[in-house]
Formats: sequence, C-alpha cells, structure tokens
Amino acid sequence: MILQTALLIGLVIFSVLALLLKDLLRSAISLALASLLLGIIFFRMNAPYAGVFEISVVAGLITVLFVLTIALTGKGEAIHESRLVNWVFPLVFVAFLVIDALVMKSLLGKVPALASGAESGSFGEVLWKARTIDLVGQIAVILAGVFAVLALFRKRDKND
Amino acid sequence: MIILFVVLPLIVAGILPLVGKVSRRVLPDLLANATLLGLLVYAAVAGRALIAGGPVLQQLSWLGEAVNLRLALDGFSLFMLLAIALVGLAASLFSIDYMEHYGAKANYYALYLVMIAGMNGLVLATDLFSVYVFLEVAAIASYALVAYGLSHDGLEAAFKYLMLSVVGSAFIVAAIAVVFGMTGSLDFAAAAAGLQELNAGPVLAIASAFFLLGFGLKAALVPFHAWLPDAHPSAPAPISAVLSGLLIKVSGVYAMTRIFLNIFGLTPALSTVLMGLGAISMVIAAFLALGQKDMKRMLAYSSISQVGYVVLGIGIGTPLGIAGGLFHLFNHALAKGLLFLTSGSVQQATGTRNLDEMGGLAKRMPVTAATNLVGALSIAGVPPLNGFWSKLLIIVALVQAGHPVFAVIAVLTSVLTLWYYLLMQRKAFFGKLNEKWAAVKEAPFWMTVATVLLALLCVGIGILFSTTVSTWIQPAADVLADGIHAVTGSWGF
Amino acid sequence: MTNTWYLYVFFAAALVCAGLLGLLGKRNLIKLFIAIEVIGKGISLLLLGTGFAKANILTAQALVITYIVIEVSLVATALALIINIYRHTKSLDIRNLAKLKG
Repeated sequence: MILQTALLIGLVIFSVLALLLKDLLRSAISLALASLLLGIIFFRMNAPYAGVFEISVVAGLITVLFVLTIALTGKGEAIHESRLVNWVFPLVFVAFLVIDALVMKSLLGKVPALASGAESGSFGEVLWKARTIDLVGQIAVILAGVFAVLALFRKRDKND
Repeated sequence: MIILFVVLPLIVAGILPLVGKVSRRVLPDLLANATLLGLLVYAAVAGRALIAGGPVLQQLSWLGEAVNLRLALDGFSLFMLLAIALVGLAASLFSIDYMEHYGAKANYYALYLVMIAGMNGLVLATDLFSVYVFLEVAAIASYALVAYGLSHDGLEAAFKYLMLSVVGSAFIVAAIAVVFGMTGSLDFAAAAAGLQELNAGPVLAIASAFFLLGFGLKAALVPFHAWLPDAHPSAPAPISAVLSGLLIKVSGVYAMTRIFLNIFGLTPALSTVLMGLGAISMVIAAFLALGQKDMKRMLAYSSISQVGYVVLGIGIGTPLGIAGGLFHLFNHALAKGLLFLTSGSVQQATGTRNLDEMGGLAKRMPVTAATNLVGALSIAGVPPLNGFWSKLLIIVALVQAGHPVFAVIAVLTSVLTLWYYLLMQRKAFFGKLNEKWAAVKEAPFWMTVATVLLALLCVGIGILFSTTVSTWIQPAADVLADGIHAVTGSWGF
Repeated sequence: MTNTWYLYVFFAAALVCAGLLGLLGKRNLIKLFIAIEVIGKGISLLLLGTGFAKANILTAQALVITYIVIEVSLVATALALIINIYRHTKSLDIRNLAKLKG
C-alpha cells in the first residue's frame, strides 16, 4: 500500500513536470517516465497485460511519436507561456488536491455498490469472449488512425 | 446479420486503398456509394421486418464458440441507422464530383466509411464501453476529414475540435467508470437493472453530470458549442453535411438519450436540465446565426439551434415530445445535410462563402437555389414541409405537458430561424446578379443528384408525414418512452 | 474496499485536474497535447482502479487495453495535425491560430 502510494505520487509529479518543464523534449521524457510508473502500478494491481501495454505502447511508441514531432517542428523555438497562468494554476491545482482529499473519501463512501461476484476465467477469455465487440472497435480505431495519418501526410499532386 | 452495418463498411474501407492503386477515381466512387446504398436498402427494406417481433439481439459465434459480439436492433436504433444511411449516401454521392480536386479519393472514402461504421456501431452497441469505443472511431475519422483539404482553416479547426472532443470523451469514460463501479457491469440491461436495484440518487447525479458534459460537448449544446462553428464550416461540404446532419446527433443526442432514458431513467430534475439546455441552445445559437456573413458558419450555428429543439423535445419525456424530438432530428439531418451540400455547390462555383459577395445566383444555378430554398424553409418550419410537422409536434407536446413558456420560446425562435434563412436565401440567390458571377454554371451532375434527392425527401416526408411518423418515428419513440423497461425487459441475454 | 478505491480515484482526479489546467493555460500545441495525455492517464487509472476495487480486474484490464489502443490512434492523428499546422504557420504558438478564440 505504501509503495503503491509512493508510485502514484511519483506518477502525478512526473505528469505535472511534463506540463511545467519548458523544454519540450524534457517534458516528453517526463511523460514517458509517468507512463512507466503507471505501468508498474498496473502490474501491482494484478493487471500485467495492461501494464505491459502501458509501458511498451504509451511509454515507448507514443514517446517516440512525440519526440519525432518535436524534432520535425524544431524544439528550440521559445513560446512565452503566460505569467499569470504560471502563478495561478499551481495554486488552483493545490486547492483542488486539498478539496479532492477532503471530499472524495466521503463521496466514495456514499456510493452504493452491488456486491459483485468474483470473476471467473482467465484474462484471455474475458478479452476474447466477453469483450469481443471491443476488438472489432479496436480494428476500426486502428483503421481510422492509419487512414487519418495517410490523409494528412498525402502528397498534394496535380491540382494543388 | 445486423453486424453487417459495422463490418461491411470496415471491410470496404480496408480494401479501398488497394483498389485506389488500380483505379484512382471510378472504382472508389462506385464501391463506396454501392456500400452505402446497400446499407440503406437493408435498413429501409429488411429493417422493419427484422424488428417486427421485438428488438433483435444478435450474439455471434466465432469458430464454433459463442463469443460476446452482442448487437441489438430496436426501433430507436433502426431509425438512426436509416438516417445515417440516407444522409451518408447523399453526401457520398455529392463527393463523387465535389472531392475530385482534393486528391486521394480512395483514402477519403476509406475514412468516410470508417466514420459511418463507427456511427452504426455506436447505434447498435449494447454496452456502455462499446458506445465510447465506436464514438471514438467516428470521432478520429472525423478529425482527419475536417482537415482533409489541408488548408490552414481546416487544420486549425480540426485541432480545436479534437481538443474539445477529447475532453468530452474523457468525461464520458469517467461517467462510465462510475456506473461500472456501482453495478459491476457495463451491459445496458444489467447496468439499468443494477441502478434500479441500488436506487442511488445523488451518485447518479454525478454520473449524469459527467455524461451531460461529455455528450453536451459532442452534441455542441450551448455552453459547450465553441468548436462547432469552426469545425463544420472548415470541412469539405459533404463532411460538413455528415457532421452537422449525423455525427453530432449520433454521438451526442442518440448516446445521451439512450443512456438517460433507457438506462438511468428520466427523472424530473434531469428532464428540466435537458429542456433548459435545449432551450438555451435554441435561442442563443439562433441569435448568433443571425449575425453571420459566412454562409456555412450561419448553417453551423443553425445546427446548434436545431439540436436544441431536438433536446428540448426529448427532454419533455412524454411520448409525444419524444416523437417530436426524434422526428425533428430526422428532418434536421435531411434538411441540414441538404443545405451544407448546396452551400458546397455555391462555394465550388463561386469560390466564396461570404454572403455579401453573392447575389442573384438563382439565375445561374436554378436547381441549387431551389433545393436550398426547400432546405431553408424546411428547417425554418414552413408548412407543408417536414420541418413544420416536427416543430408542431414539439410545441403541442410542450403545451400538453404544461410548459407554455417553453412553447412560446420555441415559436419565437422558429420565427427568428425563418428570418435568417430568408436573409441567406435573398443575399445568396435572389436579387441582382453580381457581375463577378456571370460565368457561373450549375453544379455538376452528381452534386445536383444528391441535393435533389434530399430536397425531394424533405417535400415527400412533409406531405406523407403521418405515414412516416407511424412507420419510423413511433417505434423509435416507443422504445424511449418505455424507459428502462425497454432494455431490462427484453435485452437480457 | 472503499479505501483502495479512494486511493486510485483521488490520484486519477488529480491527474485529470492537472491536465485540464494545462489545457486551459498552455500555448504550445505540443504542450496542449501533453495535457490531453495526462488526462488520458488519469482516466485509465480511474478505469483500472475501479475494476480493482470492485473485483472486476479482468474486465477493467480489457477496457484499459482498448483505451490505450484508442489513445495511440488519437495521438497519431493529433501529431499529424500539429506537424501540418507547423508547416503552414512555422510556429507552434496557439496565439498564431487566428480562429482559435471561441
């Protein structure tokens, strides 16, 4: 429990760092570290497959895509973030954390829940049999992503 | 085999890039339009027979083993499938000529069909998470389609649309997680039964608020509408037609009403919130539309306003109100699809969307002007066109349910709507022909076919409105009016 | 039971809040998208945490995997959009996008 809490705190810190760091490359790496921690958290929650996906796909593939984009768009360019935002938003965030800590527990205590029976079967069975429709959805989403990238990077020949 | 509605467009989308290598134009045109025509015929001809004995539930087996590929078709989903197929087909016929100079037609149709598959999947889904998955399929395809022209405007609008839409999706998943936590189940029927058993008032309010925020963003109801007036005008015309005519209704209104009415059950508080949101969208967007100089932007604001009518009608919660709301959804899909297509014809002929630069185009583009007039009058609610009957139903339902104030607002907004549409018609098509447009010609063949098809439907449904209502709208409204019994009673597997 | 759920929901809410604040305040397009990613992490933590606390971990795991696949598609599309915008404006500053005002 304590280790898990520490991991979760690390996850939030790296995510916030990813937003705060000025250098884009550093914030992409910080985001990747956050994903890595999230992956470990998933492992420790008995969800090894989700953990592997989080680490290999989100921390790996998505970070590569981010770095590629940063390289293609020139990372040296400085964009002045608003001063006011830099001061006010951390305060709002801390205020939210305090409210979150105070309210969330009693709120969740009020949530009624049906006693759910223990799940049976293996993960493979759940994914392939109980959630087959999601697999169809995944195929569709991958098609959408592939065609979207093809369309956005197509050469505009002739009639351009 | 109702799964064909999802799988057929996906398969065709998958092979289109290969086909595109062989034939750059003709085969992709043919294949995409044939697919949509097939779906339309299937929905229109076989659909009613399929659900004659109650909702159809399909559970497929996969290599001999029963898998959980569940889809359900009832009156409400069939009605939406028909609307998707109709407007989808018209916009795709329009694309044959319109998308000619955008290049990479095979790729365009592939994205288009993925978007249609996503919408069909959403409509047939039987569990909360698949609703989210298919919503995202349609959304991702639509981001790329909005930016398809690769113009500065389009890219910007697509990015803004993406940002807001992703936030909406995040809230939807959060709400799904809350329901999942309470009932331990994602299935519509099991979740509805579980929530009924728990009787969880205040927590359900939180989930409802998240859903409202998420679907409100998707449907562009007024406090959440900022992305729509950019995204819809910047897209290529057939895409604007599908986004305004279908996507905001499927991923916003359909998903919201299915969840609120059939799973949560419509409480009086929720009903008031929905009616309030609907009325605010209706009025504010109508005023915003009045000030627009850009033809497509005016249409976009008008979409927000008309979705307000739909939500207002469904929010009443009485059978008549729901029927009126759904009928208006259908009529608006046809008429707004038509108007975005004619605005595309005008834009292609003149190169501008600015109403002040147009004028007298009716002399050069008589068919476009006539179809545009039909669409405009239909949305404004002029008898005997279809839009009149649906607005009448909503207003009568409002009076019957004891909301005379809302009824008056609805009538006044409809006058405002008529005003800005007449303004548009006069500026663009009537009056003296602007010298610049002396050489303008009528739109190409397929573009005209698509607009005439939709215009004829608007007139035809207006004349045969009672048949349409009893065959298509009433079964859909019955499902919604039945509340949670519609899914708990007959959807269990 | 409630305590485990509380732990995960607390941190998930914190991540979503941080992401939303980033989305409101940042001006760099890539930064904006990193904010979206942070929201996404919060949501996947919420899904899995809910499943874990309610003994539905297998289903939750399947949902999270689907969620990640969707995220990848979304990232690819969004980054392609950003690169295209950069080609047009030679800038990643959101203030250079004239129409992004609401």
